[in-house]
Amino acid sequence: MDPLEQSKLLMTRRHFFGRTSVGLGAAALTTLLGGDAEAAGGLPGLPNFPPTAKRVIYLFQHGAPSQLDLFDYKPGLQAHRGTELPDSIRMGQRLTGMTAYQAKFPTAPSLFKFAQHGESGAWLSELLPYTSKVADDLCIIRSLQTEAINHDPAVTFFQTGFQIAGRPSIGAWISYGLGAESQDLPAFVVMVSQGLGNSQALADRQWGSGFLPTKFQGVKFRAGADPVLYLSNPPGYSDDARKRFLADLTKMNELTYQEYQDPEVSTRISQYEMAFRMQHSVPELTDLSKEPASTFEMYGPDSRTPGTYAANCILARRLAERGVRFIQLFHRGWDQHNNLPKEIRQQCRQTDQPSAALIQDLKQRGMLQDTLVIWGGEFGRTVYSQGTLTEDNYGRDHHPRCFSVWMAGGGIKPGVTYGETDDYSYNVTKDPMDVHDLHATILRCLGVDHTKLTFKFQGRHFRLTDVHGNVIRPILTA
Amino acid sequence: MRYCLAFLTLSRLVAAVGGVEFNRDVRPILSDKCYVCHGPDAAAKHVPFRLDSEAAAKSDLGGGRHAIIEGNADASELVKRTGATKPALRMPPVSSGLTLSASEIATLREWVAEGAKWQKHWSFIPPVRPPAPAVKNAAWVRTPVDAFVLQKLEREGLKPSAEANREMLIRRVSLDLTGLPPTPAEIDAFLLDRSPNAYEKVVDRLLQSPRYGERMAFRWLDAARYADTNGYQFDGERVMWRWRDWVIDAFNRNLPFDQFARDQIAGDMLPNATLEQQMATGFNRNHRANTEDGIIPEEYAVEYVIDRVETTSAVFLGATLGCARCHNHKYDPFTQKEFYQVFAYFNNVPEQGRAMKYGNSEPMIPAPTKPQQAALAALDQKYRAAENALAKHEAFLAKDEKRWEHGLAAPAYWTPTRDLDTAASFGRTSLASVFDGKVFVNRPSAAKFDIEDHFTLSAWIYSDETPDGSVMSRMADNPKGKGFGVHLDHGKVHVNFTSNWVDDAIRVETERVLAPKAWHQITVTYTGSRMAEGIHVYVDGHLEKTKVLLDSLYRPFRNAGKVFDEPFRIGAGWGRERRFRGRIDEVRVYRRVLDDKELAVLALGESLNEIASKPAAQRSAVENFELRSGYLETAAPATIRNLSDEINALLDERAKLEATFPTVMVMAEANPPKPTFLLVRGAYDHPGDKVTPGVPAVLPPLPSGAPNNRLGFAEWLIAPANPLLARVTVNRFWQMYFGVGIVKTVEDFGSQGEWPSDPELLDWLATEFVRSGWDVKALQKLMVMSATYRQSSEVTPEMLQRDPENRLLARGPRFRLPAEMIRDQALSVAGLLAEKIGGPSVKPYQPEGLWKEISMQDMDYVQGHGEDLYRRSLYTFWKRTIAPPEMINFDSANREACVVRETRTNTPLQALNLMNDVTYVEAARFIGQRMMKEGGASAEDRLRFGFRLVTGHWPSQKEQDVLLASLRFHLDYFSDSPKVDAYLKQGESLPDPKLDRRQLAAYASVGSLLLNLDESMTKE
Repeated sequence: MDPLEQSKLLMTRRHFFGRTSVGLGAAALTTLLGGDAEAAGGLPGLPNFPPTAKRVIYLFQHGAPSQLDLFDYKPGLQAHRGTELPDSIRMGQRLTGMTAYQAKFPTAPSLFKFAQHGESGAWLSELLPYTSKVADDLCIIRSLQTEAINHDPAVTFFQTGFQIAGRPSIGAWISYGLGAESQDLPAFVVMVSQGLGNSQALADRQWGSGFLPTKFQGVKFRAGADPVLYLSNPPGYSDDARKRFLADLTKMNELTYQEYQDPEVSTRISQYEMAFRMQHSVPELTDLSKEPASTFEMYGPDSRTPGTYAANCILARRLAERGVRFIQLFHRGWDQHNNLPKEIRQQCRQTDQPSAALIQDLKQRGMLQDTLVIWGGEFGRTVYSQGTLTEDNYGRDHHPRCFSVWMAGGGIKPGVTYGETDDYSYNVTKDPMDVHDLHATILRCLGVDHTKLTFKFQGRHFRLTDVHGNVIRPILTA
Repeated sequence: MRYCLAFLTLSRLVAAVGGVEFNRDVRPILSDKCYVCHGPDAAAKHVPFRLDSEAAAKSDLGGGRHAIIEGNADASELVKRTGATKPALRMPPVSSGLTLSASEIATLREWVAEGAKWQKHWSFIPPVRPPAPAVKNAAWVRTPVDAFVLQKLEREGLKPSAEANREMLIRRVSLDLTGLPPTPAEIDAFLLDRSPNAYEKVVDRLLQSPRYGERMAFRWLDAARYADTNGYQFDGERVMWRWRDWVIDAFNRNLPFDQFARDQIAGDMLPNATLEQQMATGFNRNHRANTEDGIIPEEYAVEYVIDRVETTSAVFLGATLGCARCHNHKYDPFTQKEFYQVFAYFNNVPEQGRAMKYGNSEPMIPAPTKPQQAALAALDQKYRAAENALAKHEAFLAKDEKRWEHGLAAPAYWTPTRDLDTAASFGRTSLASVFDGKVFVNRPSAAKFDIEDHFTLSAWIYSDETPDGSVMSRMADNPKGKGFGVHLDHGKVHVNFTSNWVDDAIRVETERVLAPKAWHQITVTYTGSRMAEGIHVYVDGHLEKTKVLLDSLYRPFRNAGKVFDEPFRIGAGWGRERRFRGRIDEVRVYRRVLDDKELAVLALGESLNEIASKPAAQRSAVENFELRSGYLETAAPATIRNLSDEINALLDERAKLEATFPTVMVMAEANPPKPTFLLVRGAYDHPGDKVTPGVPAVLPPLPSGAPNNRLGFAEWLIAPANPLLARVTVNRFWQMYFGVGIVKTVEDFGSQGEWPSDPELLDWLATEFVRSGWDVKALQKLMVMSATYRQSSEVTPEMLQRDPENRLLARGPRFRLPAEMIRDQALSVAGLLAEKIGGPSVKPYQPEGLWKEISMQDMDYVQGHGEDLYRRSLYTFWKRTIAPPEMINFDSANREACVVRETRTNTPLQALNLMNDVTYVEAARFIGQRMMKEGGASAEDRLRFGFRLVTGHWPSQKEQDVLLASLRFHLDYFSDSPKVDAYLKQGESLPDPKLDRRQLAAYASVGSLLLNLDESMTKE
C-alpha cells in the first residue's frame, strides 16, 4: 500500500477497540497474516486463468498407503503368489536399504477383495466401503510417480517440489500467489492426526515458507485448548480485559506512529486487531458442538473426538466454508513394512468414512464444485513382500514407481480412473504423472500457470515445479 | 509491508548520477532477462549467441549483423530485437515468460548509443580504496563512512536527519552490540556524561561486554545452520554446542576475521592445530545429517558436501555456487566442473552418508571445556608427581623386585587389572571337553556395552580341526542377531556389531586364517567410534590386517527405548550351528581400550616365574613390564604399593573425566584421499569425469605455495587477492545495523545480485577492514560511531515515499528486533535473564506436545527449570524439524540450511505470542513487580519507571495518561482474587509475597502492555 494512503487511512480509521465497537473498515483489514495488499490479494496478474477451484483440501496420507490393497486392482497376481518378482518387471530398480539385502522378493497379492463401484465402475478395495459410495465423484489416478524412496525426502518432494528441504511448501506458494480469501483466518492451515500403524516423523518445515516470507507458512491448528499456538489469553485474563488492553495498546502505538510516521507501526496495529479477531474466529471454527448430530453420523464415531482424522475432516469443511485457501490434513501411520493387512484395516477404519463424508458434505453444500480435494501419500508400496509372506500376512516396502491418489471437485473430472500400471503394479504403462505434474495441475485448477508463479531468490526465479511439470489436461473438466 | 513498499527501484534513486553504466544499469537487465538462454550455460540450450562476455556479445553474427555496434543503437540487433513490436521478432521470446519494461529497453538503447562500454562484473574486480569524497556539510562527517553517505544525499538534494537523542542512541547501540537494552542506570550515566567522547565510551564498554560475542553469534549461527539435532526424518540430538561457544569466544576475544574464516574452513589442517582450531571446523559439520532406515548412504554423503559448498560460498564469497550443481551456472561464470572442483575440497572427509541416530557422527573429537581442561591438567600434574615419586624409589625397587623374583616358585600370571570388567579362567589344560559345540558359558552381567562404549575383549583359543564358531559375544544367539561378538569364520577372526541386520551393522574379518589345533591369543579393541576403523584385531600380539565387510552402524542396541539384555556368552552367540569347538581360556574383558604394553602382556602368555628365570638381559620390554606390574601389585612394600595404587586411581579418574567431555563434529581429511567426480545432472549415482580440487577461474588462483587442499582453499579465501571476502563480510555487518545490506542480496554478489547502493562506500569499508588486520570490533565501532548510524529514525511521509527502505540513509535505522532480541530483552528488563555464557543448549517454556505430535518414537520436549528458563535465546535447544515457535514466529532462520539475509514480517501470530506466551506473561509480572518495588510510591512514578525500563525513555504525558488509565482498569478488573491467583501463577518463578497481589496483577498487565508496544519490539 502507498505509505501516504496508509497514513491517511490511519488518521481516519474507526477503531475496532475504543470509541466505537463497529468493526474495522474493510480497507484496513486487508489480510490476516500480512497486513498489506500483496498478501490479501496475492500477486498482481494472478490468477492467470478463470479458476475452477477456489480452495484446496489436501488429505495427506502420511507414510505411503499401499496402492495394491486399495486402488490398483491386480487380479492376475494371485497366480504368481509367492513367486519371485521377475527381473523384467524390476529392471534393476533401486531398493531402499531395508530390502536391498533381502534374498527373495516374493510376490504378495492383496488379501483384500476388489469390486467395481458406481456408474463409473471404478475398482476399489473392500477396505474402502465408504469411499466406494462416492466413487463417481472421484478421479482415481493410478499412475503417479515420484523420485524419492524415503519418507522425509518424499514428503518434502510432495510438499515443496524438491527432495531437500529449503523450498516453500505448496500451501505457502499458493498463499503467496493468491493471498487470503478469509479476513479472519490464515490462508494456509495444517492439521495433523495420529494413525494406528507405523508412524513416520513429520516436520514443521513441511508446511513452511522456505525462502518466502514467513507470513506465508502454514498455521498449524491443534486439538485442545489452544488450536493456534498462544491463542488463548493467560488464565485469569478475560476477553473483555484483552479488548481493553488492545484499545490501550492501539492508543500507545498511534502515538508512536505520529512520532515516527513509520508504516510498520500501523501494520502492527492492524496485526494486533487481527490477533484479537482470531481469538474469536478460531474457537468458533474449532467448536464442533453446534454441528448437528447428522454431521457426526456422516463422518463417523471418531469425529466426536477432537484431534482425530474424522474431526479434522469436519474442520476442513468448516475452514473451507470460511474461505481458507489451502487446508492440509496429515494423517500418520501408513508405513506398513510389516503386518500390512492388520495395520491397513485399522488405518482405513480411521480414514475411509471421514474422507468420503467430506466429499459428500461438500457436495451437498454445493461446495465441491469449487473445492479441490486430494487424497494420497508420498509414494506407493512394493508388490513383493518385505519380510516373510504367509497365508494372512505380508509387508510392503517403499515403492516410488507407481502409486495411486484420488482427486475430486474443483474442476477435476469425476468418475474417471486415469493411468495404468503393469500386472505387478510396479511400473506405469500408460499416462504417467509425476509430482511436478500434480503440482502444475493443482495450480491450474486454482487458475495459476505454474510457470508464472515465481519468486526470485539467490538470483534465480524459483517455481514450485522448478523446471518441470505438465498440467494433466485429460482429468480437467475445463 | 516492506515488500509492498519496495516499488522504488534503486536505479531510480541513483539515476541522477548521469550516464548509463554497464554494471549498474545494463548487466542486471541482461542477466535477469537474457542469460537464461544467452548466458554461461547457453550451450546446454543449443543457443550459439552469448551475452555474458564482451567478445561474444559484440561478435559478427553473420551477414554483417551485430548484436551490439558501439555507438550505433539503430543498427544493433540487441536494440532492434528488444524493441521489436512484432511478437515473433521480440526478445525475450514470449515462450520464456520474460518481458522487458519500456525503461529497460530504453536503458539498453542508451547504453549502446553511448558506446556500449563493457565492464567485468563488479564484485570480481578487487576493491580499490576510494578517497573519502568531499562534501559541503563537512561538519556532519564523523567517519569516512559519513562522507560517502553525505555525498550521495547532497547529490540527491537531501539532508541527513538530526542526531538521535541520547536515550534513543544508547538503546539502539546497546541492542545492536549486545542484543540487550541498556539498564536505567546505564542510560542515566550516559545522560549525565557531558564529556565529548561520552558516546564512544558507551560503545567501548559494549564492545568489551561478554554479551557482545553472544549477540554477534546470533547471525553467525543462522549462516552456519547450527542446530542441536540432525534434521531429516528422525531428527535425533547431536552435540555441537562447543562449536557454538567457540564462535562466541572468537567474537569476544576479537579473533581477526581472516583467522576466524580460515579456522572454520581448515583449522584442523593447520600445523599443530589447537583444540580451538579443530573445534572451529564444526562450521562445516553443522549441516543436516540423515539417519533414516532405508536411505542410500552415498546419496546423502553427496548432499552433505553440496551443503558445505553452498554454505561456504554464500557466507564467505556471496556466491551462489550451488546453482552449478546440475549444469553450468545460468548467470555467473561458474561451470559445473568448477562446482565439483570446489566440491572436491570438502569431499575428502572420512564420513558416512548415514549419520548416527543418536549423538555425533564421525569425524568428531572430544572437546573439553576450559574447566574440564583445567581439571584434566590438574590430574595429569598429580599423575606426573606420583610417577616421579615412584621413580625416586627406583634403586630400591630394582633391588627389591629382584629379591621378589628369586622367591617366585609357582607359576603365576599378571594381566592388567585396571578397568577389568570380567575375567574367566578355566585352567589351561582341562577344558577340551567343555566347548564341544553345545556347551557354553553364560555371564549375564558381563560386558554390558553399547555401540558408543569403548572396550577390549581378549581370549586364548584352541580350536579343533574346524576353526569356526563363536568365541565370545553379547548378542541375540543367531547369525544376524543384535549385539556384538568375536567369532571364527573358517579360520578368520570375525568381529560383528549389529543393530539391525543388514543395513545397521559392522562386520570386519582378518585376512589371516588361524591354524586349527593350535593356541592363539586374540584381542579385539573397539573405540566406540561406531565405525569399522574403530575396531582393531590382534592375533598373538600382532595387529592384523582386516577386511571391512559392512560399515554402517548408526543405532544403539537400546534403540527406541528398548532394553538390550542378552548375556555375555563364551563359546556361543552365533546360533546353534556355530558354537565353539575346542578350548577357550583366559577371557578378559576391559572397559577401555588397553594400551600397547598391556595388549602385549595379554598375548605374552608367560608366567612371572618363567620370565624371572630368564637372565635380565634377555628379557623383553613387555616381560619387564609384566614383572614390574606383578611386583608392584602384589609384593612391593605398602608405601610403594600405595603410590602404585594412586597412579592407577588417577588413571581411572582421568578416564572417568574424559568420559564426561562433550564431543564436537569436526572436519578431517580422509587417507587415502577420496576421488571426486563431476556428477551428471547433480545425481550421486551418475559420476562423470574425475576432477581435481580447484577454485573457479574467474577468481584469482590459489596463492603461490598454498597446498591444493582444503587448507589451501582457506588460504585462498582470506588472501588479499580475493575480491569477495571483505566485501561480503562488511556488507553482512552493515545489514545488521541498517536492516538492508549495501548490497541488498547479501547472499548473492553475482550478476543476479543487486547492484550496491553505494559501491564506493562498500569498497572503502572492505579495504578498511583488511587494512585494520580484519579487526571485527574495530569495524563494528567504525559503523556505530558514524554520524549516519547516529541519526534519528523519524521519517516524514514524503521521505518514506522517496526512500522506503532507507537505502540513501537520510535517517537512522528503525526496524523490528530479531527474534532472539525480543525474548532476551523481555527477560532482561524483567530482571530474569541468566547471564551464564555457553554450555549445553537449554529447554525453556514451550507449548506442550509440539514435539510429540509429529516426531517419531514419542520423542518429547522435556522442559527445563530454574536458570534454564531464563538463558539467552541463542542457547535455546534447536530441533530442526520442530524449531522453537517463539523464534520462528519472529522470522528467525529455520537452521535447515544457510541463511544470511535478514527478513522481517509483521503478523498476528507475533501479537498472540507476545501477549499470551508464558515467557512474556511471566516477564510482564516481573516488570510489574519491579515497577512496584523500584518505581517509587505513586502510580505515576511507577508507570514512568516501567515505561522507561522497557523502552529506554520516559513516556510523554499522553502515553502516561494511557498507562494510568490502563492500570486503573486492571485494578478494577482484578478485584476478585480467583482471577488474580490464576494470572499470577503463570511461569515457574514466584512473585514477591510481600506485594499486594491485586496490585501486582494490575501492574503485571501494564507490564505486558509495555512489552507489546511497537517501540519496545523495535530498534529506533
